[in-house]
Amino acid sequence: MLEHILLQTIIIPAICAPAIILGRRVFGKQSAWIARLGLLYSTMLLIVATFKLTLGGAPIVEQHHFAGPAITLNLLGDGLSLPIALIVNLLCSALAFHSDRYIEHRIAAIYGEIDKKTAVNHYIRFYALFLLFPTGFMGVCFASNLIGIYFFLEILPIPLFFIMAMFGYIDRVRVAMISLMWAVFGAGFFLVGAIIVYYKTGSFAIASIAQMAGTPAAFWTIVMFLVTILAKMAVVPFQVWMPWVDAEYPTSITGLLAVYANIAVYIMLRVLIIPLTADFQVFSLPLMIMALITMVYGALLTLGQTDIKRFAACSTISQLAYSLLGVCSLTIAGIDGGLFFFLGHVMGKTIIFSSAAIIVYTTGIRDMRQLGGLAAKMPLTTALWIIGAMGLAGFPPMNSFPAEWVMFTGIFKAGLMGSAAKLIIAVAGAAAITFSVVYCFRSVKIIFFGPLNEQFADNDQIKDPPLSMSLPLLAIAATAIALGLYPGIVLDLFHKVVSTIPF
Amino acid sequence: MHLYAWLAIILPFIGVPAIYVASFVNGRLRNLAAIAFPIMAALCCLRLLPLLLHPGQLPLQSSWVWVTHPFILEIGILLDPLSLILILVVSVISAIIAIYCLGYMEGDPGINRFLMLVNLFIGSMLLLVLANNLLLLFVGWKLVGLCSYALIGFYYKDERKYWIGGPEAEAPLTTPSFCGLKALVVTGVGDLIMLGGILIIFFYAHTLNLMELYKTAPVWFPELAQNPNMVVLVTFMLLAGPIGKSAQFPLHEWLPEAMAGPGPVSALIHAATMVKSGVYLVARLMPIFYIGRWVADCHNAELFFTITAWVGAITAFIAATQGMVAKELKKILAFSTVSQIGYMWIGLGVAGLTQSTLVAGTTAGIFHLISHAIFKACLFLCAGSVIHAAHSIYIQDMGGMRRYMPYTWLFMMIAAICLMGVPPLPAFWSKDAILLVNLKAHNLPIFVIAMITVALTAFYTTRMMMMVFYGSESSHLRHLKEESQTPHEALPIMWSTCGLLALLLLALGAGGPWVEHLLHHNFDLNLAGTLKLPLKEAGEHAVNYHLLVTCLSVGSILAGTIPAGIIYRKHERAIKLQSHSVFKELHIFFWRRWFIDAFYNRVFIDGTLKLADIVAFKIENNFDLLIHRRLPVLVTEKLPRLFLRLKTETDNFLYIGAYLMGIILLTIGLAMWP
Repeated sequence: MLEHILLQTIIIPAICAPAIILGRRVFGKQSAWIARLGLLYSTMLLIVATFKLTLGGAPIVEQHHFAGPAITLNLLGDGLSLPIALIVNLLCSALAFHSDRYIEHRIAAIYGEIDKKTAVNHYIRFYALFLLFPTGFMGVCFASNLIGIYFFLEILPIPLFFIMAMFGYIDRVRVAMISLMWAVFGAGFFLVGAIIVYYKTGSFAIASIAQMAGTPAAFWTIVMFLVTILAKMAVVPFQVWMPWVDAEYPTSITGLLAVYANIAVYIMLRVLIIPLTADFQVFSLPLMIMALITMVYGALLTLGQTDIKRFAACSTISQLAYSLLGVCSLTIAGIDGGLFFFLGHVMGKTIIFSSAAIIVYTTGIRDMRQLGGLAAKMPLTTALWIIGAMGLAGFPPMNSFPAEWVMFTGIFKAGLMGSAAKLIIAVAGAAAITFSVVYCFRSVKIIFFGPLNEQFADNDQIKDPPLSMSLPLLAIAATAIALGLYPGIVLDLFHKVVSTIPF
Repeated sequence: MHLYAWLAIILPFIGVPAIYVASFVNGRLRNLAAIAFPIMAALCCLRLLPLLLHPGQLPLQSSWVWVTHPFILEIGILLDPLSLILILVVSVISAIIAIYCLGYMEGDPGINRFLMLVNLFIGSMLLLVLANNLLLLFVGWKLVGLCSYALIGFYYKDERKYWIGGPEAEAPLTTPSFCGLKALVVTGVGDLIMLGGILIIFFYAHTLNLMELYKTAPVWFPELAQNPNMVVLVTFMLLAGPIGKSAQFPLHEWLPEAMAGPGPVSALIHAATMVKSGVYLVARLMPIFYIGRWVADCHNAELFFTITAWVGAITAFIAATQGMVAKELKKILAFSTVSQIGYMWIGLGVAGLTQSTLVAGTTAGIFHLISHAIFKACLFLCAGSVIHAAHSIYIQDMGGMRRYMPYTWLFMMIAAICLMGVPPLPAFWSKDAILLVNLKAHNLPIFVIAMITVALTAFYTTRMMMMVFYGSESSHLRHLKEESQTPHEALPIMWSTCGLLALLLLALGAGGPWVEHLLHHNFDLNLAGTLKLPLKEAGEHAVNYHLLVTCLSVGSILAGTIPAGIIYRKHERAIKLQSHSVFKELHIFFWRRWFIDAFYNRVFIDGTLKLADIVAFKIENNFDLLIHRRLPVLVTEKLPRLFLRLKTETDNFLYIGAYLMGIILLTIGLAMWP
């Protein structure tokens, strides 16, 4: 069972996808359990692998040959990739459970009165596509060569496109096209960057990128990869796709889109900062400025929203920039904290998006102004939203609190050791967190506090969702709190890799 | 001894789930759990009291490593005179308030949530005070902010009866949920700026441990001071947090609205927890800047003390003027808190301005914190009982309440006299100590402001007591009586806790000089002995400053009390005076809070929302239109049409040219590639 752990975590969801399609004839809707159990199994594998590494085990290196020795899939499970993969897989597993009721509701809303068989087909189609997310994410986390990363990055737009087109909201086909075009745009630049690397080093291996250090080609490689990364992270001026895509995606799994965007910061570290540390220095200040602008711009954009889903989508733009700011400070603490903040953010954002899913599922309303007072009827959902808000705003005991602390320690260090501009960015960045507090807790006030909307007062349907929807989110919240109370579990692992960067 | 300190922190936190679990059994068990944990925490703190009597054993520390990478962060406690005094105040007053809550919140549907939050609030404050490093202190700091948000906005349904800010005809009303959010955001601004200051300190000192910071300050502070602007920056950033939490100018506007929560919450925030944390942190940071000024000889370090003293003086005065015209009972007390905290800041600020006033200033500031905690808790709890009985938050709806609530009147009267600074109650000793230290430091402008504020304090306190308990009954009360809702004394559990606090005041007043001496001895031992700060003996003065301050102080009290007594003995007289043209303008100016709140609302709330609208509906929409509508049209329709036209019109000439140009450029590029 513990053989080829990394490969298993990639392959299992990919195998489960056709399995549930085939199994639907026998088990009907219940074949979605194959997806859930498969994800639980791969999460368990990752827990074992991470635990071993924590106890001092060596990083896991796997080389798998496909079609002879020429085509290989090289995987690396180290202190960076394993904890990130574990948390991401945990989120995928939780959302596989959480989405059950929601997606039934969505199918009914889109396709109306349809026969049971067609409904089951839609349902199974959703889960089969959904499984491509964990496949892609695990691949991106573990791939140790550029073609591998490119391949798995290209897998991700598939579920993004089809789930959007089939289960999204208003104007879903057009938005699906938007998401696809942006994915292609980003991937194109990544491919050019990868080809430059191959042209200069004769290899696609990430380890070989370091050979380019100090050459002009390194500069252009960084530029190419950066376009991909900044577009994925929706950094201003590439932010324009995110409010559409995140807002129109099926809400129950939109949390994964935060992972889809935020994982770019991991790629940046793996592909650019570690191998090309010195060459990357010149990009540090411009990227920090872009991050600061994005933090403020995203926050103002969020404050201007009235749609509950666009609210969460726009806040993602602002939040992603924090990780970017931390990592681009090019200090060990900044990178450790930036990565940890990435995990804190995706956990908090998944809770927020999925709570929004519960609200939309229950009330059928997206306009926040028409909500209000829901705390009286949905106390558990309110608690979940507040926990998510605490996560985004960096309150203890959520894991984003130590992450923010460590990250800003690094950012201030960069400011105090570097230019005055970086110090100004550090001070402004810390002050800009106020915006997160404002929009997160303002949303609590608008949606949950105040008098209850009259149309909800006598409606017995307005209540907390079934446990199948809330328990997975509580599990995410519990994990976020556990990591907040004991952040060393993750920070120590990150540090094993990050401390080797020669700053 | 460490164990008791750890238990004091942990017990209220355990209380939170314990209350929840007990609530499933029955209300009695839940109530028991709600008070048992704060009382046990208070007992643990009292067990540490002997350390104050024998301060030679202090400081004590206990810690363990929390995070090892990328740097070491620890979780630990520090027992020194400052933290010991604070935990005693916090835990004992909080426990008394927790008991009062059972009566006040009886029958409230949200009582479980309320009691859990109160326990969390107490635990967070004790964590903040006992933390031995700035990180853990910041954890407590943030949790306190979060709890206050939840408790101020406790009546989250925003029912009209809980709105504040009126009377409706005269001023816009505010909802509890808005007040909670305002508190969170305004204090949050300060918190996050302070975080930056802490991180800069960490960069230079390589530690966040408080004792290590003090001990190594002579080494790292000069490094920090190599850039004098950095000292200024750090000073402003570090003070931003306490200014926000202690509701000092210019971040003071949240506290008057924090009264939207239930009465005991106001008592907790004003007396025992939230606002005291700012004073505590200033006192905590003082040795660092004192070393910077008097050891490292960095003159910019003096800015810390100057700002502290002036912020305190300005705030004390502004808030007192607002208290003179406030119409809501709890709001008068809220302005009073802001003003009194200002006194504490004056004491602490003046302390570091000379080498001879450090111990005296620290003692005066912290002594006033203790007296304020007790009399303000008593005032708020009594006010809660009065509001309960009068079914109104406005003092003009009261009048003559003394006959219905004799116990409450008595206890509130004792606390009110104490607030005015009448001898021999504790605030007399502590306030005079602050005034005296100002005089000794020859800080006359602040001394004058503080003395004027004494008169204003006496004025608003007398006005409040006259309008609530004396004079004729208001029409509102008469109406209540007609509806058989005659005001009555509070429940025994409520008035007895007020009585306990009043007794504490009397006891502390009787032993005032002894307490002051004890505090002085402790701080002297800690600052001069343990931390080895360079102090100087105060020189002899020709004038007896003690006597002078006492005379001036008593004179100011009379100058405030007598006119207020005359004016507010009869409501008609007060109304007539207010309508006089000079007083009318002044009244409006104070009533509108010097227009500071309106300015903030206009600039920060309206301004931010306007900016958000511009970003969301102008910039982003146009950007979206350009990228997702115009660009696709350009690429898919207009460009092919253009190329098609060029192709037909120029017979492929341009196409060939473009291809050739492309090939040439590519060749040059490859040739130049190293």
